[in-house]
Amino acid sequence: MTTHEDSAMRAGNKPHWKPENLVGNMSLKELLFSNDYRHIALKGIFTSLIMLALGGAFAMIFRSELMVPDVQMLGAKVYMTLMTLHGMIMVFGFLIPMVVSICYYLVPKVLGTERLYWAGAAQWSFWILVVAFLLLVIGRPDFTWTAYAPMSFRTGNSLIWMGHVAIFLVAVSEFLAGAVLVRNALSSKGGWKNTPLIAWATGTVGLLFMVSTFPLAFIGLGLLGDGMGITAFFDPSRGGSVKFFLYVFWTYGHPAVYLPFVPAIAIIYTLMPRFLGFPMWSYWSGVVAFILLAIGAMPIGPHHFQPLYTVSGPYERFIQILTLLVFIPSVLHVFNWTATLFMKPIPKSARRAVPFKFMVMSIAFIVYGGATAFLNAQIAPNSDFIHNTYWIPAHFHAMFVGFVAQMAIAGFYYLYPYFTGRMYNQFLGNTHFWMWQVGLFVQITGMFVAGYLYFPRWVYDYLDTPGWSIPQMFISMGGFLVGLGFVIFVINLAWSAKHGKPVADDPWPVEHDDEAAPAAAPAE
Amino acid sequence: MENALGIWGPQAILMAITASFTVLGMVMLVLAILMKRRWKPSYAFEFVFIGVMIGLVIYADWSSTNTYTAYQQDLNAEERAVAGNYVGEGEDAFDRVITVITFQWGFAFINENDEIARNAAVVAPGEKVLFKVVSNDVIHGFNIPVAQITAEIDPDEKRELWIRAPDEPGKYLIQCVNYCGVGHTQMKAWLVVQADMSDAEMQNMGENANDNA
Repeated sequence: MTTHEDSAMRAGNKPHWKPENLVGNMSLKELLFSNDYRHIALKGIFTSLIMLALGGAFAMIFRSELMVPDVQMLGAKVYMTLMTLHGMIMVFGFLIPMVVSICYYLVPKVLGTERLYWAGAAQWSFWILVVAFLLLVIGRPDFTWTAYAPMSFRTGNSLIWMGHVAIFLVAVSEFLAGAVLVRNALSSKGGWKNTPLIAWATGTVGLLFMVSTFPLAFIGLGLLGDGMGITAFFDPSRGGSVKFFLYVFWTYGHPAVYLPFVPAIAIIYTLMPRFLGFPMWSYWSGVVAFILLAIGAMPIGPHHFQPLYTVSGPYERFIQILTLLVFIPSVLHVFNWTATLFMKPIPKSARRAVPFKFMVMSIAFIVYGGATAFLNAQIAPNSDFIHNTYWIPAHFHAMFVGFVAQMAIAGFYYLYPYFTGRMYNQFLGNTHFWMWQVGLFVQITGMFVAGYLYFPRWVYDYLDTPGWSIPQMFISMGGFLVGLGFVIFVINLAWSAKHGKPVADDPWPVEHDDEAAPAAAPAE
Repeated sequence: MENALGIWGPQAILMAITASFTVLGMVMLVLAILMKRRWKPSYAFEFVFIGVMIGLVIYADWSSTNTYTAYQQDLNAEERAVAGNYVGEGEDAFDRVITVITFQWGFAFINENDEIARNAAVVAPGEKVLFKVVSNDVIHGFNIPVAQITAEIDPDEKRELWIRAPDEPGKYLIQCVNYCGVGHTQMKAWLVVQADMSDAEMQNMGENANDNA
């Protein structure tokens, strides 16, 4: 066993590779069509950041609409289209491709293979997603990302079929991405006991991708067929079943939240030992948690439509218990991270590093969003103030933005010197960090308060009551601060690529404080 | 007023557990960053923690199931002939039975005299009201914040809910909480609580509320 525990690859606390000026040395043709893993990863990351900007801009527009009651800037149709595109672009265009692309880069580097197996599939996955995006923008669906039948094919929009085709293409793209992740996880040499945690993560989540995208593909084709009047899977007026839709959709829809979630966790397991300079507290706890998360994700989709049932029968109770149990692998991860942070003094270099700060705060947000899931899982509170009120956006913004997006940004800051050969600007990075933490906390807390007061989701206007209008004002302000932080982030990227400090062989050397007085250091 | 699910007590405990877990996580994180003393937690510690988590799962399942079963038993006060279909004397357990048709985009409330009111359900203070809700077209939601109850209405199935009407006369919100198309925002109605009125006056009241809505 000692051989495994001494394995440098598994521990991951030493630099695996050297920085290079990748961005400066590549041609546009290479970026677009090269099957080199670095180019595929960079392309995915850049595109995801553009999607983040676009989805964020849509959010800014409809947050302005929601800031005060009774004042209309957008009609219902425009508002709902922006809302739908915000959801789809952020989840399918930013979160999932961003963390997957970071894994495309990290896995070959960490495993030392220096190549992405099945890179052609990754290439196809990217371009299919681009086509899906174009269809969404041209078709402008307003059926929200869940596309509930039969509403989603009765919207009176003649281009709505584009939205259905886009859903199918997203499924194809994600299936290919999953296959690539699994293949590359299997390329790990030196036995499974030696495999770094990122490969365990991409292996298990890759399988989840491949299994769960079949229902999504069926939803896309089924909606398309039903909308054209060829099939009648989901249309109750023609003998279809809405319940059937709900079960099929959420068989994808629940694993779908793990698709960005698990790679983001993998990024933590890669970054944390590097910044701290020693291995994680427990390797096997991480492995077990990844396997349990992948298994637990599949059957629990029905908790997304819990208050549909008249009676909470044995099946609903079974789902409730399974959902509560999924809490455990997530907590295993958080426990592992916190225990690792406790083990030895945190180096001065880590305290200063912007990605490390983002990582610590993303753990705080996973605690914030994850603890509330304890309430969401239960049928009784779910039939009170939780279901389809702002409580739910609060929960998934804490998880998706507070955790996944911040971890993706942490991963990006970490990789920035490896991509450009230069370090980001520390002051701009810190400004971005603080704007996001304050903005996200205000926004998410505002959503929790509004949700507890039964503010309904998917409305562009609302009754002028203090319980609703004050949280809405705060949510908008928090959102604008996050947007401003993103602008500073982009300025930082552009400025530092040219004027940043050139980095040495190891951009993240572990430097300890001589006085060993970490309590005196700033508490980022 | 009494809320329909009757979950003030259990809900307060669950909220307290949630809040203490959030605080515990945050405090541990802050300590991990700031504390001077360092140690490697023992692996046994994690198993104890998992034991606590399993205990919480058991408690949460028990609490939620009890609450919801009590609500359902009240709904099935006397008998329930067909699951999901309310027939027979069971309805006598309620002071008022209102059939609700949800549609794109609005609510229609039909009282026991087959009188239809658009966008207002008129009830007396403190009454126990049964709502039999159906959907005409797509999936809708049905939420009465003051009564603390939410349901999802699927066109495949009839759904039944009961509430205890507030003691204070007034207008209380009824809203759709499932996105059901572009008119979703307008899908609101009023629960009008009115003391001492004849049926005819109640019907009038409903129409007025409709104008206001």
